[in-house]
Amino acid sequence: MHEFSISDEIVRNVLAAVKENKGTKVLSVQLEIGELALLNVEQVTFWIHELFKGSVAEGAKVKVRTIKARIQCESCGYRGGINLDRRDPFRHAVPYSCPKCHSFQIAIAKGRECHLKKIQALR
Amino acid sequence: MKIIRPKGPEIFDIELEKDLLAKNRGLAKENRKRFDRSKILAIDVMGSIGSGKTSLIKAILKKLGMGQKAAVIAGDLTTTIDAERIEAEGARVIQVNTGKECHLDAHLIRKAIDRMKLDGVEVLFIENVGNLICPGEFPLGAHQRLVVTSATEGPYTVIKHPYIFREADVIVLNKVDMAKPMKVNLFQLEKDARQVNPQASFIKTNALSGKGIPEVIEALGLKR
Repeated sequence: MHEFSISDEIVRNVLAAVKENKGTKVLSVQLEIGELALLNVEQVTFWIHELFKGSVAEGAKVKVRTIKARIQCESCGYRGGINLDRRDPFRHAVPYSCPKCHSFQIAIAKGRECHLKKIQALR
Repeated sequence: MKIIRPKGPEIFDIELEKDLLAKNRGLAKENRKRFDRSKILAIDVMGSIGSGKTSLIKAILKKLGMGQKAAVIAGDLTTTIDAERIEAEGARVIQVNTGKECHLDAHLIRKAIDRMKLDGVEVLFIENVGNLICPGEFPLGAHQRLVVTSATEGPYTVIKHPYIFREADVIVLNKVDMAKPMKVNLFQLEKDARQVNPQASFIKTNALSGKGIPEVIEALGLKR
């Protein structure tokens, strides 16, 4: 739901970095978004394209890499990924439990990121 | 030898590695330090629209009777309704209007505490924008996070929004008097909450009658 504000922040960062590096046109931006971040990638991409309009980044490609979640279970000691079965309509109901022992006492080590990685531009 | 190079723009990469959520986390840490320095206990109150966040804060303030030693930051999109309701309890109140934004963030809280007179304040309630999704992703620097849900929201609130309930230190199930007419099974909601977040305190309240309010005060470490 805060896709718009995050996209706005991304766009502001992109335009500032390009200006600082004396770029004249942005070709692409690369993002990394964790699968447990509360961000819908499709919406983020849509808003970035919209917000780029009328700037040096209009028409730039937006590439998003998903960062897989990694958890550590405090109950059974499991370390690793979680199951996010895309076909399961209730997958969001319990995405924070240990896949091995189903405990909710887990620490999330990875998967909540929202990184602006790289910009490709023309000088 | 003369080399002819094509004239034209040069393609270059800008490596950024910028974490966009990190900025908020950093500001939240700074807010926390400020609260600690001023010996203020800060509580982030989250929950859906109409779950009873304002009523709960009012009921807690009434029970505590702290007057101006309590302060409230009331977050809302455009109105000052909540701030006015809370002001009636004698606490210091500042309204933060987010405009279109669906959550408060650490930056807005920093601005609010810059503008507020906080000397002598012992407890600060931060009433977040009514929303069960976004506020979970934006820590504000509060010591405790309280999530309010209510019987009138139906039976699936907790299981549909595990993320925000997982972030909670205290989970409040409000409007318990409405469970019967709403045909909501309170035991199931409690079971869901305890499964999603076994560490959090779980308290049933009716903020309007005052039921459960002493328990909430104790769970927040506010017992005086």
